[in-house]
Amino acid sequence: MHVPAFASRREFLHLAGGGFGALAMSAMNADAAPTDDPLTPKKPHFAAKAKSVIFLFMEGGPSHVDLFDPKPELTKRHGQKLPDSFGRVITPMGTGGNTLLASKRKFAKHGKSGLDVSDWLPQMATMADDWCLMRACWADGLNHVGSVCQMNTGSVLAGKPSLGSWAIYGLGSANRNMPGFVVLTDNGEVTGGARNWGTGFMPATYQGTLFRNGANPILNLATPANVTADRQKQKLELIGQLNEIHKRQRPHDSELDARQAAYELAFRMQATAPETVDLSTEDAATKEMYGLNRKETADFGHRCLLARRLVERGVRFVQVYCGAGSQWDAHADIEGNHTKLCTRADQPTAALIKDLKRRGLLESTLVIWGGEFGRTPMSEGASGRDHNPFGFSMLMAGGGVKAGTTHGTTDEFGLRGVDGKAHVSDFHATIMHLLGFDHEHLTYKHNGLDARLTGTGGHVVKEVIA
Amino acid sequence: MCRLPAFLIAILCVIPAFSRAETPADWAYKPVAKASVPQSGFANPIDAFLGAKLAEAKLAFATPADKTTLLRRVTFDLSGLPPTPEEIAAFLKDDTEKAYEKVVDRLLASPHFGERVATWWLDVARFAETDGFKSDDHRPNAWRYRDYVIDSFNSDKPYDRFVKEQIAGDELTGDNAAIIATGFLRHFPDEYNAVNLEQRRQEILNDITDTTAAAFLGVTLGCAKCHDHKTDPITHIDYYRFQSFFAGIWPTEKPLLSQEAISAIDAKSKAWEAKTDELRQQMAELEKPFREKAEKKERSRFQEEYVSLIDIPSEQRTPWQKQIAAMVEKQVYSAKRFTPTQMKSPVKEKWEGMSKRMAELAKDKPADPPMAMVMTDVGATAPPQHRLKRGDWRKPGEVVEPGYLSAFDDRDAESVTTKIGTSGRRTALANWIAADKNPLASRVIVNRIWQHLFGRGIVASSSDFGLTGERPSHPELLDWLAQDFVANARSMKRVYRQIVTTTAYRQSGIGNESHYAKDPENKLLWQMPRKRLDGESLRDAILAVTGTLNAKRGGPSVYPELPSELKGTAGWKVSEDPNERSRRSVYVYVKRNLRYPLFSLFDSPDRSETCARRFTTTTAPQALTLLNDSLVLGYAKTFAERVIADVGDDTGKVIDRTMFLALGRKPTTEEAAKLSAFFAKSTGTTIDRVTDLCHSVLNLNEFLYID
Repeated sequence: MHVPAFASRREFLHLAGGGFGALAMSAMNADAAPTDDPLTPKKPHFAAKAKSVIFLFMEGGPSHVDLFDPKPELTKRHGQKLPDSFGRVITPMGTGGNTLLASKRKFAKHGKSGLDVSDWLPQMATMADDWCLMRACWADGLNHVGSVCQMNTGSVLAGKPSLGSWAIYGLGSANRNMPGFVVLTDNGEVTGGARNWGTGFMPATYQGTLFRNGANPILNLATPANVTADRQKQKLELIGQLNEIHKRQRPHDSELDARQAAYELAFRMQATAPETVDLSTEDAATKEMYGLNRKETADFGHRCLLARRLVERGVRFVQVYCGAGSQWDAHADIEGNHTKLCTRADQPTAALIKDLKRRGLLESTLVIWGGEFGRTPMSEGASGRDHNPFGFSMLMAGGGVKAGTTHGTTDEFGLRGVDGKAHVSDFHATIMHLLGFDHEHLTYKHNGLDARLTGTGGHVVKEVIA
Repeated sequence: MCRLPAFLIAILCVIPAFSRAETPADWAYKPVAKASVPQSGFANPIDAFLGAKLAEAKLAFATPADKTTLLRRVTFDLSGLPPTPEEIAAFLKDDTEKAYEKVVDRLLASPHFGERVATWWLDVARFAETDGFKSDDHRPNAWRYRDYVIDSFNSDKPYDRFVKEQIAGDELTGDNAAIIATGFLRHFPDEYNAVNLEQRRQEILNDITDTTAAAFLGVTLGCAKCHDHKTDPITHIDYYRFQSFFAGIWPTEKPLLSQEAISAIDAKSKAWEAKTDELRQQMAELEKPFREKAEKKERSRFQEEYVSLIDIPSEQRTPWQKQIAAMVEKQVYSAKRFTPTQMKSPVKEKWEGMSKRMAELAKDKPADPPMAMVMTDVGATAPPQHRLKRGDWRKPGEVVEPGYLSAFDDRDAESVTTKIGTSGRRTALANWIAADKNPLASRVIVNRIWQHLFGRGIVASSSDFGLTGERPSHPELLDWLAQDFVANARSMKRVYRQIVTTTAYRQSGIGNESHYAKDPENKLLWQMPRKRLDGESLRDAILAVTGTLNAKRGGPSVYPELPSELKGTAGWKVSEDPNERSRRSVYVYVKRNLRYPLFSLFDSPDRSETCARRFTTTTAPQALTLLNDSLVLGYAKTFAERVIADVGDDTGKVIDRTMFLALGRKPTTEEAAKLSAFFAKSTGTTIDRVTDLCHSVLNLNEFLYID
C-alpha cells in the first residue's frame, strides 16, 4: 500500500504551500479545527449519551410476527381470513383478503426482561436485556423504494437529507481523517441507491460515503502500485498550489473550497483508512465471535466488526446493510428466506452488542436493527408474507435507550399498531433525542422553510429512553 | 380557459407566506402574459430584463469575459467538449465584430450540439437501456430513442413536433423517427416477471403519467394520485383523467423497414421455415413434455383470473384483457431458449443431434429486421379508466374520460381519429400540450434551456412549476422568452443562440466583489455562474484533451472499461474494439443498476425516474477516483504521450502545452514557477514525469469548473 508519508494534516497543508485558504490558516495557527469547517464537532442541544449510531438495516422487511411479536391468535386462526372488523387491508401484492399464516417459529421470553425473540435469532436473544423493542412502528410507503427512503430520510420521496446527514450536520465529525458518515453495503444494490445516504437539499459535505464489500471497501483508496508515495505527494502539492492560485480570484465560491477540502480528506483517508479497515489486528476470538470463520456470517460479520472499528475511531454514523436489494422480501417461502437471512444477521449483530459493551462503547453508541417495514400476518401464495408498514418492530440498544424494554403492541394478528404506536417520524425524533437534539429545532433553511428530518410530524417516544 | 380550482385554494392554505409575494403561487397556471421589454441600453431583450432587475438592486453585470474564457464556456455548453487548440487560435485571431456569433453558429451546427444537449433531456425522459428492478434486463433497442433525441436537437426540430412525436409519434405519420420517439413512453422501470399484473399495469401508467406531466408541463402530479385530502376531488379526478390518455398503452417492438422490405423478409422466413419444418417439428415433439411442464409451472405463479386470460383467443379479449394477457404470455411462453437439462438418454442425444443440424440450418435463416422499442395503443378502444381511491388499483371508483388538467382547461379531451386504428387519445393530449395557448409547455422548455446555460433555471424547480415549486426569479423574462419561442417556430437552437449571445452570458465569472453581500446566490446574475462539468462531460473532456475521443455518431451503446473492482459485472461486456470505448459519454450504455461509475460519482441520476436537475456534490471519493483510478492514470499517460509527441521533452514547452490543451490557456508566471518546480523535483523517466504533470492538471479545479 502506497500512502503519502505526511505526518499530519498540518504537514500536508504546509507542504502544499499553505494553500487552503481559511482551512490552512487555522491549521497553521493551532491544531484546533478551523471554525468555518462545517464538520467541526459541535455540541448538541442538550447532553446526551449517544455519540454515534450504527444502523443495521435489514433491507426488504423482516417479519416481526416471526421474530419479535408472537401472536397466539394468529396460530389459532391459521387458514382463516382476517375478521371483517379489520376492513379492507391494502398491501402491495393484494394479499389483504388472503388467509392468515401462522408462524412456524418457536418463541421464548429471554433475559430478565423477558423479551420475546423467536428461535430464528438465538444469539440476539442472549442479549435480550440490552435491547429495547419497539413493536408498533408504522410507515407510509407500501413499496421498497419509498419505504427504504422513508426509513433513511423521513420521506418516501427522494431528495431529502438522510438520517446520517442530519446527525453529522448537527454533531460534526469527531474524526477528520475519515468521513463522518459511512455506509457499508453487501453484494446487493441498496434499493433506491444513493438517495438513502444523500444530503438532498443540504450541501454534499454531509453525505454518506459508501464503502464496498470485500478487502478494499473504499474504491480507489490505494495509490496504484506503480506510483510512489513521493510522486503522489508531489502531485497533491501541485494540485493544492494551483487550486489556491485559481481560488484567489474567485472568492465566495464554496464549491471550490469544498473540492480542495475533499482532496484533503481523500489524502487523510489514504493515510488512515487502510489501518481502519484492516481487521488483521483483531484477535482470533473476536473474529470468531463475529462469525468471520463461517461462510454464512462472514460478510455481515466483517461489516459489523468494521462498524465497531469506525465508531471507535469517531465516525459518527455507520449504516450497515444486511440483504441490500430487498433480500428480506419474503413474498414466498418465508421459512427458506428468513432462515437464510436470520443466520446471516443473528451472530454478527449479537457480537457487535457484546463487543461494544465490553469495550465500554455501547453506552455512547446507539445500535438500531430493523428494516423498512414488517410483514403481513396474511399469507402470500402458500408460504410467503406481504409488506406490512402498518405495525412492525424495530430494535434499539445502547446510546441511552431503556434496555430490556418492550414498547408498543400490535393487534392480535400483528397487522397494525394498537398501543404505543411510533411513526417513522417518531422513531427519527427519538433517535435525534438520543443524540441530544430537539428534532423540531435541528433545522436547515430550504426554500424559505426551516426544513427538518421529521417534516411536520414526530414525537419523541419517551418510554424507550433511559 | 382558467378558473381557480378548489385544489389550488386548498393547497394555498398550507403554503407559508413567502416574502416574494409579488409573484403569486399559482403564477404558472396563468396564461403567458404579454411582456414588454424594459427600456434599456441593451440590444438583447434578455439583457434588458436582467439589467432592469440588476439596476433595481443597484447591481450591474460584470465586465465581459476574456475571449479564451468565453470560448471555453460556450464550447463546453454547446458541445460538451473543450475548444481545440485550432479553434482557440482561430477565435483569438478573429477581430471581426461578429467573431463570437460565428463561433456560436459553428457550435450550433456541429453534431456535437445534439450530443451535449440530449443529456439533460435524457435525464428528464428517464432514458435507460435496462429494466431496473432486480433483474435489470437489457433493452436491446432503447438506444434508438437516444439517437432520436440527439438528431432532433441537431436538426432543430420544432419543439411542438418534438412533443407530439414522443407522446403520439405512432399516430402522427408512418415516419420511423416519430415511431422511435414513442420510446419516451417506454422508459418506465419494469419488472417483467411480476405476478401482480394489475398493480404492475397501474405502476407503469403512473410512471408514464407522472413523467409526461413533469417533462412537458413541469407539473408534479404524483400527489394527486392518492391524495388523502378529501377536499381535493378535482385533483384526484384530474390525475385519472390525465392518466386515461394512456389507458390503452400497448408496448411493442416494431420493425423499422418499409412494408416491401418486411414482406421480403417474411417470404424468406417462410421459405426457411418450410425447409426446416420437419426437423423443427421433430424437435418440438421431443421438447413438448418439458415445455408443457415449464409452462405449467409458470402458469401456477399467477392468479387464476390473470392466467385464464391467455386461454381466451386474442381477438376475443377485451382491451384490458389484452394488456394483462400480454404480460402473462411474455412469462408463460417465455422466449427463453430451451435447454435439455432435464432430458435423459437417449432422448437427450437425439435432441442434441437435431440441435446441431438446426444450428447449421439457422445460418440460412434471414436476419431479423432492425427493431424499435415503441408505444402504441391496444386498439381503437382503451380499457375503462377508473378513478382509483387513494391511488389503490383495487379500489376503482367511477370511470373517467380523458380530460385536461382542470386548472388550465376543464374540457374533456378532443376526440381524434387515427389512421392506424388507435384511440387517438395521446394525439389529443399532445395537441393540447403543444398548443399555443398552453401556458406551461413553452415556459417549461425555455426554462430548461436557461437552466442548462446558467446552472439554475429562472424557475429553479424546473420540473415543478406548481404551488410547491419555486417562484421565478424573472417572471416577465420567462414569459417573454416563452412568447418569443412560440412566435418563432419553437426553435430550440434559436433560444440557445439568443441566450449565449447576451451580455449576461458573455460576462465574466468574476463579478464585482461588492455585489456579493447584496445577492450572495447570484440570483440576479451579476456574474456568470461557474458550472462544474458533469460526469459525462468530464469523461468527454478527458478523452478530448488526451486526443483519443472517437467522434463516431449514433448506434448501439458502447461499454467502456469498468474499474477493476467492478469487472465482471453482469450485463457489462466491455466493447471489444478499444476505439469504441473512447466514444462520447452519451453513447455509453445506461444500465439502471450500474450507472457508469465515473458518471454516478459526478452526480448523474440513476434514471429510475424523471430528473429535472442534477445535484452537484463534492466528495472525497471523487478526489480518490481522479487521483488513483487506473483508468484515469491511463488517460494521464495518453495525455503525456500526446504532449511529448507535440512538443518534445523541453520542460517549458511541455508545461505550456499541457496547460494549453487542458485549460485552453498558457500558465501565468506564478503558475509556471510552481509547475517548473514540480517538474524539477520529479524523478523517473520523461514519460513518468510528464504523466504526473498531466495527471495533476486533470485534477485541477479549473479543469472541472468552467468560468
